[in-house]
Amino acid sequence: MRPHPEAIIRILNPADYFTLAIDEEIRKEGMPGSVCGFALELKGRPDSNQLGDRIDDFCRNFPVSRGKLQKIGRRYFWCKRQQPEKVFFLHECSDRQDVIDEFHSTILRVINRMEPRETVHPIEFHLFPGTAKSILLVRWIHPFCDAVGVELVLKYLAADPPPVENECNKPQVSLVNQKISRFTLWRKFGLILKTKNWIEQIDQFQSILPAGQSSPPQRLNFKVFRLDLAQSRKITETSRQQVGLTGTSLYYIGCLMRAIDRMKTRSTGEAYCVPYAFNLRKQKALTPVTGNHVGALFAQAPVETVQDRARLFKHLTSQYRRTIRDELDYAFLPLMWAAQWMSLERVGKTLRQSYRNGKERSSFWFSDAGQSDLAGRDLCGAPVRGVFHLAQVTTPPGLALLTCVFENRLTLSYNFVEPLYDLDWILGLHQQVLPELLGER
Amino acid sequence: MMNPTSIQQKLRNFILHELIFVADPESFGDHNDLLLAGLDSMAIMRLIIFIENEFGVTLPDSEIEPDNVRSLFALEHWIAGHQEK
Repeated sequence: MRPHPEAIIRILNPADYFTLAIDEEIRKEGMPGSVCGFALELKGRPDSNQLGDRIDDFCRNFPVSRGKLQKIGRRYFWCKRQQPEKVFFLHECSDRQDVIDEFHSTILRVINRMEPRETVHPIEFHLFPGTAKSILLVRWIHPFCDAVGVELVLKYLAADPPPVENECNKPQVSLVNQKISRFTLWRKFGLILKTKNWIEQIDQFQSILPAGQSSPPQRLNFKVFRLDLAQSRKITETSRQQVGLTGTSLYYIGCLMRAIDRMKTRSTGEAYCVPYAFNLRKQKALTPVTGNHVGALFAQAPVETVQDRARLFKHLTSQYRRTIRDELDYAFLPLMWAAQWMSLERVGKTLRQSYRNGKERSSFWFSDAGQSDLAGRDLCGAPVRGVFHLAQVTTPPGLALLTCVFENRLTLSYNFVEPLYDLDWILGLHQQVLPELLGER
Repeated sequence: MMNPTSIQQKLRNFILHELIFVADPESFGDHNDLLLAGLDSMAIMRLIIFIENEFGVTLPDSEIEPDNVRSLFALEHWIAGHQEK
Protein backbone atom coordinates (compact mmCIF):
# COMPACT_ATOMS: atom_id res chain seq x y z
CA MET A 1 0.00 0.00 0.00
CA ARG A 2 1.34 3.43 -0.93
CA PRO A 3 1.82 5.76 2.04
CA HIS A 4 0.05 9.11 2.17
CA PRO A 5 2.38 11.78 0.68
CA GLU A 6 2.47 13.50 4.06
CA ALA A 7 4.03 10.37 5.54
CA ILE A 8 7.16 10.89 3.47
CA ILE A 9 9.95 12.62 5.37
CA ARG A 10 12.52 12.56 2.59
CA ILE A 11 14.02 10.53 -0.23
CA LEU A 12 17.33 8.69 0.20
CA ASN A 13 20.28 10.59 -1.22
CA PRO A 14 22.70 8.87 -3.69
CA ALA A 15 25.18 7.92 -0.93
CA ASP A 16 22.33 6.59 1.26
CA TYR A 17 21.23 4.40 -1.64
CA PHE A 18 24.79 3.17 -2.09
CA THR A 19 24.84 2.02 1.54
CA LEU A 20 21.38 0.48 1.10
CA ALA A 21 22.85 -1.71 -1.66
CA ILE A 22 25.42 -2.94 0.87
CA ASP A 23 22.57 -3.50 3.35
CA GLU A 24 20.93 -5.72 0.74
CA GLU A 25 24.18 -7.64 0.15
CA ILE A 26 24.61 -8.34 3.87
CA ARG A 27 20.95 -9.33 4.29
CA LYS A 28 21.25 -11.76 1.37
CA GLU A 29 23.87 -13.59 3.41
CA GLY A 30 21.42 -14.06 6.30
CA MET A 31 22.98 -11.28 8.38
CA PRO A 32 21.26 -8.18 9.86
CA GLY A 33 22.16 -5.71 7.10
CA SER A 34 24.28 -2.59 7.18
CA VAL A 35 24.07 -2.19 10.95
CA CYS A 36 26.82 -0.18 12.64
CA GLY A 37 27.79 0.74 16.18
CA PHE A 38 29.50 3.73 17.74
CA ALA A 39 30.35 3.10 21.38
CA LEU A 40 31.23 5.73 23.96
CA GLU A 41 33.07 4.51 27.02
CA LEU A 42 32.11 6.67 29.97
CA LYS A 43 33.60 7.19 33.42
CA GLY A 44 30.92 6.57 36.03
CA ARG A 45 27.24 6.53 35.31
CA PRO A 46 25.46 9.17 33.24
CA ASP A 47 22.11 10.56 34.38
CA SER A 48 19.87 8.24 32.36
CA ASN A 49 16.77 10.47 32.75
CA GLN A 50 18.66 13.47 31.42
CA LEU A 51 20.08 11.33 28.60
CA GLY A 52 16.59 10.09 27.73
CA ASP A 53 15.37 13.70 27.54
CA ARG A 54 18.29 14.67 25.29
CA ILE A 55 17.55 11.72 22.99
CA ASP A 56 13.86 12.73 22.82
CA ASP A 57 14.93 16.26 21.97
CA PHE A 58 17.26 14.97 19.25
CA CYS A 59 14.49 12.80 17.75
CA ARG A 60 12.08 15.76 17.71
CA ASN A 61 14.62 17.91 15.86
CA PHE A 62 15.60 15.14 13.42
CA PRO A 63 12.34 13.30 12.56
CA VAL A 64 14.12 10.82 10.26
CA SER A 65 15.57 9.25 13.41
CA ARG A 66 12.09 7.92 14.25
CA GLY A 67 11.16 7.07 10.67
CA LYS A 68 11.17 3.84 8.70
CA LEU A 69 12.43 2.86 5.28
CA GLN A 70 9.86 2.33 2.58
CA LYS A 71 10.11 1.51 -1.10
CA ILE A 72 7.70 3.54 -3.20
CA GLY A 73 7.81 2.62 -6.86
CA ARG A 74 11.49 2.08 -7.60
CA ARG A 75 12.82 4.56 -5.04
CA TYR A 76 13.37 4.38 -1.29
CA PHE A 77 12.08 6.97 1.17
CA TRP A 78 12.19 7.71 4.87
CA CYS A 79 8.57 7.72 6.05
CA LYS A 80 6.84 8.47 9.34
CA ARG A 81 5.75 5.61 11.60
CA GLN A 82 2.18 5.33 12.80
CA GLN A 83 3.40 5.48 16.39
CA PRO A 84 6.82 6.75 17.50
CA GLU A 85 8.67 3.84 19.10
CA LYS A 86 11.17 3.61 21.93
CA VAL A 87 14.76 4.16 20.78
CA PHE A 88 16.53 4.41 24.17
CA PHE A 89 17.26 1.16 26.00
CA LEU A 90 18.77 0.63 29.44
CA HIS A 91 20.58 -2.71 29.94
CA GLU A 92 21.27 -4.73 33.07
CA CYS A 93 24.87 -4.67 34.27
CA SER A 94 27.30 -5.61 36.99
CA ASP A 95 30.54 -3.89 37.91
CA ARG A 96 33.51 -5.78 36.58
CA GLN A 97 36.69 -3.99 35.66
CA ASP A 98 36.78 -4.22 31.87
CA VAL A 99 33.60 -2.66 30.63
CA ILE A 100 34.01 -3.79 27.00
CA ASP A 101 34.49 -7.46 27.99
CA GLU A 102 31.68 -7.19 30.53
CA PHE A 103 29.19 -5.95 27.99
CA HIS A 104 30.64 -7.84 25.03
CA SER A 105 27.89 -10.45 24.73
CA THR A 106 25.10 -7.87 25.11
CA ILE A 107 26.71 -5.58 22.54
CA LEU A 108 26.92 -8.58 20.20
CA ARG A 109 23.21 -9.26 20.70
CA VAL A 110 22.38 -5.63 19.89
CA ILE A 111 24.59 -5.43 16.81
CA ASN A 112 23.53 -8.84 15.47
CA ARG A 113 19.77 -8.41 15.99
CA MET A 114 17.87 -9.25 12.80
CA GLU A 115 14.96 -7.08 11.74
CA PRO A 116 13.16 -6.50 8.45
CA ARG A 117 14.39 -3.43 6.60
CA GLU A 118 10.90 -1.91 6.69
CA THR A 119 10.64 -1.92 10.49
CA VAL A 120 14.22 -1.47 11.72
CA HIS A 121 14.88 1.73 13.69
CA PRO A 122 17.23 4.12 11.90
CA ILE A 123 19.04 4.77 15.17
CA GLU A 124 18.90 3.35 18.71
CA PHE A 125 20.70 4.26 21.93
CA HIS A 126 21.74 1.47 24.33
CA LEU A 127 23.09 2.42 27.74
CA PHE A 128 25.07 -0.16 29.73
CA PRO A 129 25.48 1.62 33.07
CA GLY A 130 28.03 0.64 35.70
CA THR A 131 29.17 2.49 38.82
CA ALA A 132 32.77 2.82 37.67
CA LYS A 133 32.29 2.66 33.91
CA SER A 134 29.42 2.71 31.47
CA ILE A 135 28.99 2.33 27.72
CA LEU A 136 26.58 4.15 25.46
CA LEU A 137 26.25 2.18 22.24
CA VAL A 138 24.59 3.89 19.31
CA ARG A 139 23.28 1.31 16.85
CA TRP A 140 22.27 2.67 13.47
CA ILE A 141 21.60 1.46 9.96
CA HIS A 142 23.83 2.98 7.36
CA PRO A 143 21.28 4.60 5.09
CA PHE A 144 20.35 6.82 8.07
CA CYS A 145 23.79 8.41 8.44
CA ASP A 146 27.53 7.78 8.34
CA ALA A 147 29.98 7.48 11.26
CA VAL A 148 30.80 11.21 11.20
CA GLY A 149 27.07 11.90 11.47
CA VAL A 150 26.80 9.71 14.56
CA GLU A 151 29.68 11.60 16.16
CA LEU A 152 27.65 14.77 15.49
CA VAL A 153 24.61 13.14 17.12
CA LEU A 154 26.73 12.36 20.17
CA LYS A 155 28.04 15.92 20.27
CA TYR A 156 24.42 17.06 20.13
CA LEU A 157 23.56 14.84 23.12
CA ALA A 158 26.65 15.98 25.03
CA ALA A 159 26.17 19.70 24.34
CA ASP A 160 25.77 21.75 27.48
CA PRO A 161 23.49 23.67 27.40
CA PRO A 162 21.41 21.56 24.97
CA PRO A 163 21.39 23.02 21.46
CA VAL A 164 18.26 24.94 20.55
CA GLU A 165 18.70 26.81 17.29
CA ASN A 166 22.20 26.09 16.12
CA GLU A 167 23.98 24.63 13.12
CA CYS A 168 22.53 21.16 13.84
CA ASN A 169 19.02 22.33 13.09
CA LYS A 170 19.84 23.54 9.60
CA PRO A 171 18.36 21.58 6.64
CA GLN A 172 20.20 18.30 6.03
CA VAL A 173 21.39 18.84 2.45
CA SER A 174 23.08 16.02 0.55
CA LEU A 175 26.73 16.91 -0.03
CA VAL A 176 26.94 14.31 -2.81
CA ASN A 177 24.04 16.00 -4.63
CA GLN A 178 25.59 19.39 -3.96
CA LYS A 179 28.91 18.29 -5.44
CA ILE A 180 27.28 16.60 -8.44
CA SER A 181 25.16 19.67 -9.17
CA ARG A 182 28.40 21.55 -9.89
CA PHE A 183 29.27 19.06 -12.67
CA THR A 184 28.00 19.56 -16.23
CA LEU A 185 26.29 16.60 -17.87
CA TRP A 186 29.40 15.92 -19.97
CA ARG A 187 31.61 16.03 -16.91
CA LYS A 188 29.30 13.49 -15.24
CA PHE A 189 29.63 11.16 -18.22
CA GLY A 190 33.39 11.75 -18.29
CA LEU A 191 33.70 10.85 -14.62
CA ILE A 192 31.55 7.72 -15.01
CA LEU A 193 33.89 6.63 -17.82
CA LYS A 194 36.89 7.42 -15.63
CA THR A 195 35.44 5.27 -12.81
CA LYS A 196 34.82 2.42 -15.24
CA ASN A 197 38.40 2.53 -16.52
CA TRP A 198 39.76 2.77 -13.01
CA ILE A 199 37.74 -0.24 -11.80
CA GLU A 200 38.83 -2.22 -14.86
CA GLN A 201 42.42 -1.40 -13.98
CA ILE A 202 41.89 -2.61 -10.40
CA ASP A 203 40.19 -5.76 -11.68
CA GLN A 204 43.28 -6.76 -13.65
CA PHE A 205 44.40 -8.38 -10.41
CA GLN A 206 42.42 -11.05 -8.59
CA SER A 207 41.90 -9.95 -4.99
CA ILE A 208 43.29 -11.96 -2.11
CA LEU A 209 40.99 -12.86 0.78
CA PRO A 210 42.49 -13.21 4.28
CA ALA A 211 41.14 -16.70 5.03
CA GLY A 212 39.00 -19.52 3.68
CA GLN A 213 35.42 -18.49 2.92
CA SER A 214 33.65 -21.86 2.73
CA SER A 215 31.35 -21.60 5.79
CA PRO A 216 28.21 -19.45 5.73
CA PRO A 217 28.32 -16.36 7.98
CA GLN A 218 26.64 -16.67 11.40
CA ARG A 219 27.36 -13.53 13.41
CA LEU A 220 29.59 -10.48 13.69
CA ASN A 221 32.12 -10.46 16.51
CA PHE A 222 34.66 -7.82 17.46
CA LYS A 223 37.82 -7.21 19.42
CA VAL A 224 39.00 -3.77 20.48
CA PHE A 225 42.61 -2.84 21.25
CA ARG A 226 43.48 0.57 22.66
CA LEU A 227 47.20 1.20 22.30
CA ASP A 228 49.04 3.14 24.98
CA LEU A 229 50.40 6.65 24.52
CA ALA A 230 54.00 5.56 23.87
CA GLN A 231 52.94 3.02 21.22
CA SER A 232 50.57 5.52 19.59
CA ARG A 233 53.28 8.20 19.49
CA LYS A 234 55.75 5.73 17.94
CA ILE A 235 53.18 4.76 15.31
CA THR A 236 52.58 8.43 14.41
CA GLU A 237 56.33 9.00 14.06
CA THR A 238 56.88 5.86 11.97
CA SER A 239 53.86 6.62 9.80
CA ARG A 240 55.21 10.16 9.14
CA GLN A 241 58.55 8.67 8.07
CA GLN A 242 56.99 6.05 5.81
CA VAL A 243 54.06 7.84 4.19
CA GLY A 244 54.39 11.47 5.27
CA LEU A 245 51.72 13.72 6.65
CA THR A 246 49.17 12.83 3.99
CA GLY A 247 48.98 9.05 4.27
CA THR A 248 48.07 8.08 7.84
CA SER A 249 45.10 5.93 6.77
CA LEU A 250 47.21 4.30 4.05
CA TYR A 251 49.79 3.40 6.67
CA TYR A 252 47.20 1.44 8.68
CA ILE A 253 45.93 -0.23 5.50
CA GLY A 254 49.46 -1.20 4.41
CA CYS A 255 50.29 -2.62 7.83
CA LEU A 256 47.13 -4.73 7.80
CA MET A 257 47.90 -6.01 4.28
CA ARG A 258 51.36 -7.11 5.45
CA ALA A 259 50.02 -8.65 8.65
CA ILE A 260 47.44 -10.70 6.75
CA ASP A 261 50.12 -11.83 4.33
CA ARG A 262 52.19 -13.07 7.27
CA MET A 263 49.25 -15.07 8.62
CA LYS A 264 49.72 -17.55 5.72
CA THR A 265 46.00 -18.30 5.66
CA ARG A 266 45.14 -16.22 2.63
CA SER A 267 43.39 -17.35 -0.52
CA THR A 268 45.15 -17.48 -3.84
CA GLY A 269 45.11 -14.18 -5.65
CA GLU A 270 47.38 -11.48 -6.97
CA ALA A 271 46.72 -8.32 -4.95
CA TYR A 272 45.17 -6.90 -1.81
CA CYS A 273 42.34 -4.51 -2.57
CA VAL A 274 40.75 -2.37 0.13
CA PRO A 275 37.73 -0.08 -0.21
CA TYR A 276 37.55 2.92 2.06
CA ALA A 277 35.25 5.90 2.30
CA PHE A 278 36.09 9.56 2.49
CA ASN A 279 33.74 12.15 3.91
CA LEU A 280 32.57 15.17 1.95
CA ARG A 281 31.82 17.20 5.08
CA LYS A 282 34.30 19.92 5.89
CA GLN A 283 36.36 18.97 8.93
CA LYS A 284 34.71 20.13 12.20
CA ALA A 285 31.45 20.98 10.41
CA LEU A 286 28.36 20.57 12.60
CA THR A 287 26.03 19.77 9.76
CA PRO A 288 24.67 17.79 7.96
CA VAL A 289 23.99 15.33 10.79
CA THR A 290 21.79 12.75 9.06
CA GLY A 291 22.27 11.15 5.65
CA ASN A 292 25.46 9.75 4.14
CA HIS A 293 27.99 12.15 2.66
CA VAL A 294 30.75 9.88 1.47
CA GLY A 295 32.61 8.86 -1.63
CA ALA A 296 34.53 5.63 -2.13
CA LEU A 297 38.15 4.86 -2.96
CA PHE A 298 40.27 1.73 -3.32
CA ALA A 299 43.80 1.07 -2.16
CA GLN A 300 45.37 -1.84 -4.01
CA ALA A 301 48.79 -3.45 -3.90
CA PRO A 302 50.12 -6.57 -5.66
CA VAL A 303 51.34 -9.25 -3.28
CA GLU A 304 55.03 -8.85 -4.27
CA THR A 305 54.80 -5.17 -3.38
CA VAL A 306 53.11 -5.96 -0.05
CA GLN A 307 56.02 -8.19 0.88
CA ASP A 308 58.48 -5.28 0.55
CA ARG A 309 57.58 -2.71 3.23
CA ALA A 310 59.32 0.33 1.76
CA ARG A 311 58.04 -0.43 -1.72
CA LEU A 312 54.49 -0.93 -0.41
CA PHE A 313 54.23 2.47 1.26
CA LYS A 314 55.78 4.22 -1.73
CA HIS A 315 53.28 2.44 -3.97
CA LEU A 316 50.24 3.29 -1.79
CA THR A 317 51.27 6.94 -1.46
CA SER A 318 51.82 7.47 -5.18
CA GLN A 319 48.58 5.60 -5.98
CA TYR A 320 46.73 7.92 -3.57
CA ARG A 321 48.35 11.05 -4.98
CA ARG A 322 47.38 9.96 -8.50
CA THR A 323 43.84 9.28 -7.31
CA ILE A 324 43.42 12.81 -5.97
CA ARG A 325 45.24 14.42 -8.90
CA ASP A 326 43.06 12.60 -11.46
CA GLU A 327 39.93 13.33 -9.38
CA LEU A 328 39.18 9.64 -9.07
CA ASP A 329 37.97 10.36 -5.56
CA TYR A 330 35.06 12.31 -7.06
CA ALA A 331 34.68 9.98 -10.02
CA PHE A 332 32.40 7.65 -8.05
CA LEU A 333 29.88 10.39 -7.28
CA PRO A 334 28.11 10.51 -10.67
CA LEU A 335 28.02 6.70 -10.62
CA MET A 336 26.35 6.86 -7.22
CA TRP A 337 23.88 9.35 -8.63
CA ALA A 338 23.10 7.13 -11.65
CA ALA A 339 22.88 4.04 -9.41
CA GLN A 340 19.74 5.41 -7.71
CA TRP A 341 17.76 4.20 -10.71
CA MET A 342 19.34 0.73 -10.66
CA SER A 343 18.19 -2.24 -8.56
CA LEU A 344 19.96 -2.81 -5.24
CA GLU A 345 21.21 -6.17 -6.55
CA ARG A 346 22.78 -4.55 -9.57
CA VAL A 347 24.49 -1.82 -7.51
CA GLY A 348 25.72 -4.41 -5.00
CA LYS A 349 27.18 -6.54 -7.76
CA THR A 350 28.90 -3.52 -9.37
CA LEU A 351 30.40 -2.56 -6.03
CA ARG A 352 31.62 -5.97 -5.00
CA GLN A 353 32.36 -8.19 -7.95
CA SER A 354 35.37 -8.03 -10.22
CA TYR A 355 34.44 -7.25 -13.84
CA ARG A 356 37.10 -9.75 -14.89
CA ASN A 357 36.18 -12.87 -12.97
CA GLY A 358 33.04 -12.10 -10.93
CA LYS A 359 34.90 -12.72 -7.67
CA GLU A 360 34.90 -10.49 -4.59
CA ARG A 361 36.93 -7.32 -5.11
CA SER A 362 37.52 -6.39 -1.44
CA SER A 363 40.20 -8.13 0.61
CA PHE A 364 38.94 -6.44 3.77
CA TRP A 365 37.06 -3.28 4.74
CA PHE A 366 38.75 -0.33 6.35
CA SER A 367 37.59 2.89 7.96
CA ASP A 368 39.61 5.53 9.78
CA ALA A 369 37.52 7.93 11.86
CA GLY A 370 40.64 9.95 12.72
CA GLN A 371 40.99 12.06 15.85
CA SER A 372 37.78 11.98 17.88
CA ASP A 373 36.33 15.34 18.89
CA LEU A 374 34.53 13.73 21.83
CA ALA A 375 37.65 13.77 24.01
CA GLY A 376 37.26 16.06 26.99
CA ARG A 377 33.46 16.07 26.76
CA ASP A 378 31.00 14.71 29.23
CA LEU A 379 27.68 13.04 28.62
CA CYS A 380 25.00 13.79 31.19
CA GLY A 381 27.51 13.85 34.04
CA ALA A 382 29.82 11.05 32.82
CA PRO A 383 33.14 12.04 31.19
CA VAL A 384 33.89 10.36 27.85
CA ARG A 385 36.96 8.14 28.23
CA GLY A 386 37.09 6.31 24.89
CA VAL A 387 35.31 5.43 21.68
CA PHE A 388 35.24 2.45 19.34
CA HIS A 389 33.33 1.51 16.21
CA LEU A 390 31.50 -1.56 14.92
CA ALA A 391 30.22 -2.45 11.44
CA GLN A 392 28.49 -5.42 9.87
CA VAL A 393 30.48 -6.45 6.82
CA THR A 394 29.71 -8.45 3.68
CA THR A 395 31.00 -12.02 3.41
CA PRO A 396 33.42 -12.27 1.74
CA PRO A 397 35.58 -10.64 2.97
CA GLY A 398 33.95 -10.84 6.45
CA LEU A 399 36.68 -8.70 8.02
CA ALA A 400 36.91 -4.97 8.77
CA LEU A 401 39.39 -2.82 10.65
CA LEU A 402 37.95 0.39 12.11
CA THR A 403 40.44 2.82 13.60
CA CYS A 404 40.23 6.09 15.50
CA VAL A 405 42.40 8.19 17.79
CA PHE A 406 41.09 9.26 21.17
CA GLU A 407 43.22 11.47 23.44
CA ASN A 408 46.23 10.66 21.24
CA ARG A 409 45.75 6.90 21.68
CA LEU A 410 45.12 4.74 18.65
CA THR A 411 42.11 2.39 18.90
CA LEU A 412 41.85 -0.63 16.62
CA SER A 413 38.48 -2.34 16.35
CA TYR A 414 38.65 -5.64 14.49
CA ASN A 415 35.22 -6.69 13.21
CA PHE A 416 34.98 -10.24 11.96
CA VAL A 417 32.30 -12.62 10.78
CA GLU A 418 32.16 -16.00 12.53
CA PRO A 419 32.81 -18.81 11.77
CA LEU A 420 35.00 -17.57 8.90
CA TYR A 421 37.29 -16.03 11.49
CA ASP A 422 37.49 -16.70 15.22
CA LEU A 423 38.94 -14.78 18.13
CA ASP A 424 42.19 -16.77 18.09
CA TRP A 425 42.77 -15.84 14.46
CA ILE A 426 42.11 -12.17 15.25
CA LEU A 427 44.49 -12.25 18.23
CA GLY A 428 47.10 -13.81 15.94
CA LEU A 429 46.44 -11.12 13.36
CA HIS A 430 46.84 -8.35 15.93
CA GLN A 431 50.18 -9.89 16.96
CA GLN A 432 51.27 -9.35 13.37
CA VAL A 433 49.67 -5.91 12.98
CA LEU A 434 51.27 -4.34 16.06
CA PRO A 435 54.96 -4.75 15.06
CA GLU A 436 54.06 -3.59 11.57
CA LEU A 437 52.48 -0.41 12.94
CA LEU A 438 55.40 0.17 15.29
CA GLY A 439 57.84 -0.20 12.39
CA GLU A 440 59.61 -3.15 13.99
CA ARG A 441 59.74 -5.16 10.74
CA MET B 1 55.11 35.66 -9.85
CA MET B 2 51.80 35.99 -8.03
CA ASN B 3 51.80 38.44 -5.13
CA PRO B 4 51.64 36.92 -1.64
CA THR B 5 48.29 38.52 -0.76
CA SER B 6 46.66 36.89 -3.76
CA ILE B 7 48.17 33.50 -2.82
CA GLN B 8 46.88 33.82 0.69
CA GLN B 9 43.39 34.84 -0.43
CA LYS B 10 43.15 31.85 -2.77
CA LEU B 11 44.42 29.51 -0.05
CA ARG B 12 41.99 30.97 2.45
CA ASN B 13 39.05 30.56 0.06
CA PHE B 14 39.93 26.97 -0.77
CA ILE B 15 40.66 25.85 2.78
CA LEU B 16 37.69 27.52 4.42
CA HIS B 17 35.21 26.76 1.62
CA GLU B 18 36.27 23.21 0.81
CA LEU B 19 38.26 21.66 3.63
CA ILE B 20 37.51 22.87 7.13
CA PHE B 21 34.55 24.43 8.88
CA VAL B 22 35.19 27.60 10.82
CA ALA B 23 32.20 29.27 12.48
CA ASP B 24 33.50 32.77 11.77
CA PRO B 25 35.83 32.68 8.73
CA GLU B 26 36.46 36.44 8.91
CA SER B 27 38.11 36.08 12.29
CA PHE B 28 40.31 33.16 11.22
CA GLY B 29 43.80 34.64 11.31
CA ASP B 30 46.75 33.97 9.02
CA HIS B 31 48.65 32.46 11.93
CA ASN B 32 45.79 30.32 13.29
CA ASP B 33 46.62 26.60 13.54
CA LEU B 34 45.07 24.79 10.57
CA LEU B 35 45.93 21.36 11.98
CA LEU B 36 44.04 22.11 15.18
CA ALA B 37 41.22 23.53 13.09
CA GLY B 38 40.79 20.10 11.48
CA LEU B 39 43.11 19.88 8.46
CA ASP B 40 43.65 16.10 8.33
CA SER B 41 45.83 13.90 6.12
CA MET B 42 43.30 13.63 3.27
CA ALA B 43 42.59 17.37 3.35
CA ILE B 44 46.32 18.09 3.21
CA MET B 45 46.65 15.94 0.08
CA ARG B 46 43.76 17.83 -1.56
CA LEU B 47 45.40 21.10 -0.55
CA ILE B 48 48.75 20.07 -2.06
CA ILE B 49 47.13 19.13 -5.37
CA PHE B 50 45.20 22.43 -5.33
CA ILE B 51 48.40 24.40 -4.72
CA GLU B 52 50.29 22.56 -7.48
CA ASN B 53 47.50 23.14 -10.00
CA GLU B 54 46.71 26.70 -8.98
CA PHE B 55 50.19 28.13 -8.47
CA GLY B 56 52.19 25.96 -10.87
CA VAL B 57 54.69 24.74 -8.29
CA THR B 58 55.80 21.23 -7.37
CA LEU B 59 55.97 20.61 -3.65
CA PRO B 60 58.27 17.70 -2.79
CA ASP B 61 56.81 14.99 -0.55
CA SER B 62 59.77 15.39 1.80
CA GLU B 63 58.64 18.94 2.59
CA ILE B 64 55.04 18.06 3.46
CA GLU B 65 55.61 18.63 7.15
CA PRO B 66 53.45 20.12 9.91
CA ASP B 67 55.51 23.33 10.00
CA ASN B 68 54.81 24.02 6.32
CA VAL B 69 51.05 23.47 6.50
CA ARG B 70 50.31 24.73 9.99
CA SER B 71 48.93 28.15 9.00
CA LEU B 72 47.97 30.24 5.99
CA PHE B 73 51.12 32.26 6.64
CA ALA B 74 53.35 29.15 6.63
CA LEU B 75 51.70 27.84 3.46
CA GLU B 76 52.15 31.13 1.67
CA HIS B 77 55.87 31.18 2.50
CA TRP B 78 56.32 27.57 1.49
CA ILE B 79 54.71 28.25 -1.91
CA ALA B 80 56.59 31.50 -2.42
CA GLY B 81 59.87 29.69 -1.75
CA HIS B 82 59.15 27.30 -4.60
CA GLN B 83 57.93 30.00 -6.98
CA GLU B 84 61.26 31.73 -6.68
CA LYS B 85 63.19 28.60 -7.67
